[in-house]
Amino acid sequence: MMNKILKKMKEYPAIVGFIGVSIFFSILSNRFLTVPNIINVFRQVSIQAIIAFGMTLVILTGGIDLSVGSVFALSAVVMASVLKGGSVFLGILVALAVGAAMGFANGFIIAKGRIQPFIATLATMAIGRSLTLVYTQGMPITGLPSSFRIIGRGSFLGLPYPIIIMLSIFFLIWFISKNTKLGLYTYAIGGNETAAKLSGVKVVKYKIIIYMISGVLSAISAMLLTARLNSAQPTFGSGYELDAIAAVVLGGASLSGGKGSVVGTIFGALIMGVINNGLNLLNVSPFYQQAVKGAVILIAVLLERED
Amino acid sequence: MLLKLENITKSFPGVLALDNISFELNEGEVHALLGENGAGKSTLIKIIGGIHRPDKGRMIYNEKEVLFSNPSEAINNGIATIHQELNLFEELTVAENIYIGNIKRNMVNKKTLIEQAQEILSRNDFNIRADALVKELNTSEKQLVAIAKALSVKSKIIIMDEPTASITEHETQNLFRIVRELKNKGIGIIFISHRMEEIFDIADKVTVLRDGKYIGSGDIKDFSQEELINMMVGRKIDDMFPKYNKVSDEVIFSVKNLNIGKSVKNVSFEVKKGEIFGIAGLVGSGKAEIPLGIYGYTLAKWDDLIVNNKKIKRIKRPDEALKHGIALVPEDRKSMGLILELDILKNIIVQNTDLVGKNGLISWSKGKKIANEEIKKYSIKATSYKQKTENLSGGNQQKVVLSKVLKRNPKVVFLVEPTRGIDVGAKVEVYNIVNKLANEGNAIIFISSELPEIVSLCDRVLVMHRGESMGILEKKDITQEKILKLATGVDI
Repeated sequence: MMNKILKKMKEYPAIVGFIGVSIFFSILSNRFLTVPNIINVFRQVSIQAIIAFGMTLVILTGGIDLSVGSVFALSAVVMASVLKGGSVFLGILVALAVGAAMGFANGFIIAKGRIQPFIATLATMAIGRSLTLVYTQGMPITGLPSSFRIIGRGSFLGLPYPIIIMLSIFFLIWFISKNTKLGLYTYAIGGNETAAKLSGVKVVKYKIIIYMISGVLSAISAMLLTARLNSAQPTFGSGYELDAIAAVVLGGASLSGGKGSVVGTIFGALIMGVINNGLNLLNVSPFYQQAVKGAVILIAVLLERED
Repeated sequence: MLLKLENITKSFPGVLALDNISFELNEGEVHALLGENGAGKSTLIKIIGGIHRPDKGRMIYNEKEVLFSNPSEAINNGIATIHQELNLFEELTVAENIYIGNIKRNMVNKKTLIEQAQEILSRNDFNIRADALVKELNTSEKQLVAIAKALSVKSKIIIMDEPTASITEHETQNLFRIVRELKNKGIGIIFISHRMEEIFDIADKVTVLRDGKYIGSGDIKDFSQEELINMMVGRKIDDMFPKYNKVSDEVIFSVKNLNIGKSVKNVSFEVKKGEIFGIAGLVGSGKAEIPLGIYGYTLAKWDDLIVNNKKIKRIKRPDEALKHGIALVPEDRKSMGLILELDILKNIIVQNTDLVGKNGLISWSKGKKIANEEIKKYSIKATSYKQKTENLSGGNQQKVVLSKVLKRNPKVVFLVEPTRGIDVGAKVEVYNIVNKLANEGNAIIFISSELPEIVSLCDRVLVMHRGESMGILEKKDITQEKILKLATGVDI
């Protein structure tokens, strides 16, 4: 039993890191280990984690998706304007469609056009942001129907919806990566794209699907934040791509592909969340927080380095 | 004595690459290192060149015990290795390539660099311009650049790993003239080649390795070709090739006027049921490109492609080729055959997901059952199906590739260099598998650079030269000499 736990911990060093930073802050602050605070951490993490799950799949293929923040913003503002027209269902559908379309564009350019993922998504990131600004003329869209706002604010058995949605997506992506063709192919493409192709994997198709998943998850994440803030801002999501990549890397994934898992990623995101939360509780100036996060990422990656 | 290795032992996960090897090299001596692929030659030269460290044993160089911790330490001490893949920077000039890693100052004066490099090139009668870009050179010229690089640091030992594998007869003679000059200057040369005639032509001494073990060494004069081959393979070659396939008259694969970019021009051939059809040729002859084109990995055109009486217009991707019953065991199992980070189970299932589930789902319990059966069927030596393929020996890696490729009983199987870098025992197993496939009524296209196996295994052989077919040899006409002649562009 103990051995099994130890083995798991070795497999997912992010779990060890998460426990480590949690113990650290619970010693320094007696407010850290309270139910409301823990729920708070999870709720804040939900937004980032959902994006990071999509990023995990993308990184597993050996790619990267820098456009997640822009997709987040674009789907938020387009959705918000539809919501103001009255239909919650249509609004959600439109957000998902925007995410899927942007993801398709990314995947198509990368897989079919054979452009490096970094460059391709750098371009779509800029285009997406620009479209968002044009669409909103730089103004936030506020005053959304209350039946929609509940997604971000309501709760079930004490658990806020964002957490429930985040955990459901986690289990779904975890299941996909473990027990489906898509999951196996994701690891195969990232591990050795040539071998995957020669094994008959339709690499173009599966890459497009994976970038679409990333886009759709960004859109879902955008729904949660929009609902919670009761507004969609054109500046939404800037820098989210870096948070997502950080969570994935903290989770033990390799940027060269083929290695990593969403289990690592969720704990990677939690580490970042706990550090944010803990530093706030300790009244550390927010000016320092980025530096602490940066240091944690460096330490984690150094520790995970093989040999 | 220039260099002396004593009791060198080196193992990698899953293989004992060198087992207690001793080796000596004198000044002004060309010492041939012989052995089949996987015998341990490259591990040995990598230890001498500072790429690997031995687990055990001593290395004495210039009367002193040394242990190089990286290649540049070896180079600075006068041991240069010219690897088969040459490791040159294509986008840089010849001069920059010669001096890279050996530029003393931070600022480089291009003019002096080129002058100095030209000096070295002319002194050795290398007819190459120092300011040319390496990508503009042909293979043998590149080889000379690599040699010039070794000479620029005043090397005492130059290791040449199959320098003649991809150059013509004429270029080989040129290279040998240079090797003799180096020898006269007192430089010790370790020479690896698979071509027996060359070894008798250039070498003074010979050392034979087999399966990581020292088999013997001595003056080349004291050995016959026959003896050396027997030492290398450890058995008579004839015993290695089981031959019992029956070729039927029914053609199940035929291609007419196959064209693949600039590398394959108007090649046509047909393969019968139960036939082992060989394709031979030098590196760069187009023989390795043929299967990739037909398999849909690279863009290929043909006038006619008929598989199992079905005309196929186009194959856009490998998955389409697989649907038509065409399978490929690719050239390099590490970069093309396997996903090294994944275990045996996943490597087998990646190509066979349809056998273990529907609607995109995978039943791993079914997968494990298949993997266990396959491990047994191919006697793959592994701790379990969970072992990463990265940690398997070459032979066992190749068996995993064979297993995943053959699992769905393809009708037409292309095998490209299926025995490269695996030990003799595993080779025999591969030959047996190939024979069995032929006997089961499949069409086998066997592509190899190792002529003995082509000669012994194949029913007919197509020989490629510069992208064109030089003709197809019938069973009774297949000899190494005839293949080599055709492969170098000489009609017979």
